[in-house]
Amino acid sequence: MNAQALKTETTTDRHPLAGQAMSGAEVIVQVLADEGVGVMFGYSGGAILPVYDAVFRYNAEHACADGSEPMPLVVPANEQGAGFMAAGYARASGKVGVAIVTSGPGATNMVTPVRDSMADSIPLVVICGQVGTAAIGSDAFQEAPISNIMGACAKHVFLVTDAAQLEATVRTAFTLARSGRPGPVVVDVPKDVQNTALSFRGTGELALSGYRTRLRAVEQATLGDADCATFFHALMQAQRPLIYAGGGVIAAAASAALRAFVDAFGLPVTTTLMGLGGFDSTDPLALHLLGMHGTAYANYAVEDCDFVLALGARFDDRVAGVPDKFAPRAKFIAQIDIDPAEIGKVKPVGWHHVGPLQRALERLTAYGRAHGFKPQLAEWHAHVAELKRVHAMNYDRASALIQPYAVLEAINRHTRGRAIVSTGVGQHQMWAAQYFDFRAPRHWLTSGSMGTMGFGLPAAIGAQFAHRDKLVIDIDGDASIRMNIGELETVTTYNLPVKVVVLNNVGDGMVRQWQKLYFKGRFAASDKSLHKKDFVRAAQADGFEWARRLERVGELEATIADFLAFDGPAFLEVMIDPDAGVYPMVGPGASYAQMITGDFIASRAAAVVREDSSSHMF
Amino acid sequence: MNHTLSILLQNEAGALVRVAGLFAARGYNIDTLTVAATHDPTVSRLTLSLQCDDDALGQILQQTRKLVDVLQVAHPATALAA
Repeated sequence: MNAQALKTETTTDRHPLAGQAMSGAEVIVQVLADEGVGVMFGYSGGAILPVYDAVFRYNAEHACADGSEPMPLVVPANEQGAGFMAAGYARASGKVGVAIVTSGPGATNMVTPVRDSMADSIPLVVICGQVGTAAIGSDAFQEAPISNIMGACAKHVFLVTDAAQLEATVRTAFTLARSGRPGPVVVDVPKDVQNTALSFRGTGELALSGYRTRLRAVEQATLGDADCATFFHALMQAQRPLIYAGGGVIAAAASAALRAFVDAFGLPVTTTLMGLGGFDSTDPLALHLLGMHGTAYANYAVEDCDFVLALGARFDDRVAGVPDKFAPRAKFIAQIDIDPAEIGKVKPVGWHHVGPLQRALERLTAYGRAHGFKPQLAEWHAHVAELKRVHAMNYDRASALIQPYAVLEAINRHTRGRAIVSTGVGQHQMWAAQYFDFRAPRHWLTSGSMGTMGFGLPAAIGAQFAHRDKLVIDIDGDASIRMNIGELETVTTYNLPVKVVVLNNVGDGMVRQWQKLYFKGRFAASDKSLHKKDFVRAAQADGFEWARRLERVGELEATIADFLAFDGPAFLEVMIDPDAGVYPMVGPGASYAQMITGDFIASRAAAVVREDSSSHMF
Repeated sequence: MNHTLSILLQNEAGALVRVAGLFAARGYNIDTLTVAATHDPTVSRLTLSLQCDDDALGQILQQTRKLVDVLQVAHPATALAA
C-alpha cells in the first residue's frame, strides 16, 4: 500500500483503464467501481450533478446480463436516510457503505449519520459535492463549511482542492474507512474539480505517513510469550472470570476466535449492545446484554466476577456508569482493543494488548492450550446457570394489554436469531436487545453510542440491499419511526421485502420512563395521545399492500405469523401497553447491585430469601 | 499541571482546525498555541500548552495521535524525564 503502491506501477498490475482521459466525476465513479461498491445511497443536487451523471452513464455502459445496474444509486426521502442506509448496509455486510450527496443542506443532513457511524465505528465513505473552488468562502448558494463541520465528527475529511489528488484521495478514503478502528470518511469535492479533465491512473493512494505508521504498528503487534504468560497467570488465579465483549468483536470478525477461546477456557460471556451477535446468546455460557438495561443475570455476574476480559469494549457510561463500582470484585482486568486511546480510558487495567482482536484471541487460545491451562470453573458455571434461572427476563404474562416483550418473543419464535433486526432508539430498542436471540454477527443493527431516533427504517433498507434474500425486520417505536417516516416510500419504491414493526405506546416511552422516575411523572413533551397520525393509512399511502394494526392480545400469534410470511414489504403497528417499562434498569449513578428489576424479574435480595440453595459461593 | 506538547502535522487545509477542535470538543483549554512551517514545507510544527492532570494528558495525547493529519505528538517534559 501507500508509498510503495505509488511506486510499483508495473505492467502486470496496471489498471486496464490507466491513461484514459476522464473527468473528475468519472474518476470518482471508476474508483468506487474498483473498490467493489455494489450499491450507493444518495440524493441529487446542483453541486454533485457531474458525479450523478457519471454514475448514470457508468450503469448504462456496464449493465448486467439481466439488464440490472451494477452500481445502483438508491434515492431516499432525505439525505439522513441515505446516510443510515449506507450505515445499515455496512453494518449488515461488513463492507464500506457509500453515500453521495450534494453541497450545503445535502451535506449537513449527512452530519447525523456520519457522527453516528463514528461513534459506533462503522466504515462509510461519503462523497459530498461542494461549490466551485473559486466560490468557497463567498457564502455561495448551497455552500456550507463541510470540512470544518465534518472534521469534528468524522474519522477524517478531505476537501479536494487539487484535482490531481482526487483519484488518490477517493481511494485513500476507503483505506481509512476500513482500516484500524473503522469509521466514516468524508470527501468534499468542489464542482469544478468534478469537471476537470484528468488522466486516470488506476492506482496510488495518499501517503498519510503518520496514520500509516501508527496503523502498521497496531496491525503488526503480536502477543509475546511473556504477555501470554502474564495473562494466563492471572486467569488461572481467578475463580470467577468473565468476558465482556463489545462491538470490536464484530468489527474485527473475531466471533469464531471468541467461540474457540471460550471452548478452550470456559469463560462466560456478556455482550454490550454493540456486541450482540458476537457470541451466540443461546449458549449456556452466554449472559446476553449487560449494563443500564442489561439482563439481571449478566449484571449480577459482573458484580460477582473476580476477573474481566474486555474485548473490543470501551466501558462506556451505559455499561460502567460509575466506573469505580463496575465489577467491584474484579482483582484483574484485561483489555484488548485496536484503539490505543481506549486502553484504560475509563477503568484502569492490569493487562492490555493493542492489536487485531482475532489474532490476539487465536494466539491466547493456542498458548493456553499448548501450556495445558484449563481453568476449573465448574462452581462458577453452576453459579452463572443459577443466576440465569433465578433472574431470567420476565414480564406480566397475564395482562389484558399487549405486552411489547410478548410481541418480540412471538417474532423470535419465527426468526430464532437468524433475521437481521434494526431498531430506532428508546424502549423498543432495549426490549429488542433483551428479548431476541442473537446467533451470529451483523444481524443486529442499532444506533448504540449516538442513540439516533429514526435509525431503524433506513438501516433496514440498507441491510436489505446488502442481503436481498434475508429477512430484515425494523423494530421501531411510534416516535422513532416518525423521524424518518419518509423512507417508508423508499421501501416500496424499491420493492424491498422489509418488515416494519411499530410498537406504539403513544409517545416517547423511554423519556416517559425517566420522567416517571426522576421528574414526578410530568410528561413534558413526551405524550403523543393528541397526535393524529394513522400509521396504517400512512403505510398504505406509501404503497404497503400489507399494513395492519394489532390491538388484541388474542390475535398476536396469528398476526405475527401472517406478517412475517408476507412476500413483500409489510407494516405492522402494535398498540402496546403504554405503561410497559424497560427492566432491569441501573439508574444513573447507581451500581449494578442497586439495579431495579421491576415486578416480574427477581432481584437478588428477593432471590436470596426464596432460593436458599441457589448458590454457595457468596 | 502545565504541559507543553509538540505536534508535527501535515500542512493540509483544515489540519490546524482539527487539532484545535479536538482539544475543544474534549474539554481541554489551550493556553498558548504557535504554528510554524518546518524545513519541510509539507509539514508544520504546532506547539501548544495547556493545564491538565496526568491522566487527562495521557488521553489527549492518544486522541491527538488518532488524527489522520498528525505525524507525531511529543510531550517533551515526559521525554526528558524518561
